[in-house]
Amino acid sequence: MQIIEHQELSAAQASITFSSIPQTFTDLLIVTSLRDSGSTNGWTNAYIRPNGLSTNLSTRVLYGFSSTVGSFSDTFIYHETVGGGSSANTFSNSSIYIANYTASAAKSISVDTSTANNGGNAINAIVAGLWNSTAAITSLSLVAEVGNFVQYSSATLYGITKGSDGTTVVS
Amino acid sequence: MPTNTYTPLATISLTGTDSEIVFSNIPNTYRDLIIIASGQSTAANANILARFNSDSGSNYSWVYMGGDGSSTFSGSSSGTSGDWGNFPNAQSVSVFQIMDYSATDKHKTTLVRSNTASTYAIAYAERWASTTAITSISLTISGSGNSFASGTILSLYGVIA
Repeated sequence: MQIIEHQELSAAQASITFSSIPQTFTDLLIVTSLRDSGSTNGWTNAYIRPNGLSTNLSTRVLYGFSSTVGSFSDTFIYHETVGGGSSANTFSNSSIYIANYTASAAKSISVDTSTANNGGNAINAIVAGLWNSTAAITSLSLVAEVGNFVQYSSATLYGITKGSDGTTVVS
Repeated sequence: MPTNTYTPLATISLTGTDSEIVFSNIPNTYRDLIIIASGQSTAANANILARFNSDSGSNYSWVYMGGDGSSTFSGSSSGTSGDWGNFPNAQSVSVFQIMDYSATDKHKTTLVRSNTASTYAIAYAERWASTTAITSISLTISGSGNSFASGTILSLYGVIA
């Protein structure tokens, strides 16, 4: 795994974008730590936009918060951020795995996402996502749903390359 | 010097269907293993089954939780292969993390994340009840005659502690 880029906000902004993503890796991993500036006490969404697009996306989610568990599907990739009305200094923690991001096939996306908040008003979810496009991913945006991502929100983009060690055999 | 992660060990990109993928001769020099399976199978309702070191005994058990987009489910089971999650005939990505695979003082734990946006999001915790170091991993598709589909890519990585 190799780090491609790390961004930490020095001031609030509406989105975090990784552009000109090298096409030399096999998979991408994005690790995020986000907080929204809106007044929500709990969580809000941070939209994942391959190549800046909000179309041809789908998601299937298992979530739990407090004593509630549920599942839903939708036309965006579910990924959480802590709402600005939540306990101070709390940020979400998520990982986004995109397999074969340069392939001329639909892109499967795996997301593990969680938030933190005093009083138990926090959510944990696992997400199966899909970007149904044959285009290679050359940029990736995270877009705040309600307000802006606050100062100190961060995201790190890693590239993972498949290959062989010359010892292990696969057949 | 940062610790290397996701060191590539082996990969296979299928140009036709394949009923079994085997990673063998796995070196014991890493702490954990990670397998990424991206693609699909030839069956609408199929799972990936896993065996370590060709062990076909009743030494595999698992617990799981998942959602289908409207309802949730959870459970546990055991068998002669590990159930490594849903892998139907729709674009999917599965992530398998095998902890301490070369240890000889513990049973082996695998964490599975199974993702198909058109069917399920599922998480599994698996146990192989053996203290033998893992040197090979066999992956098949459940159901008679089912296979990994052409275009599926399976990649094995080592993680150094």
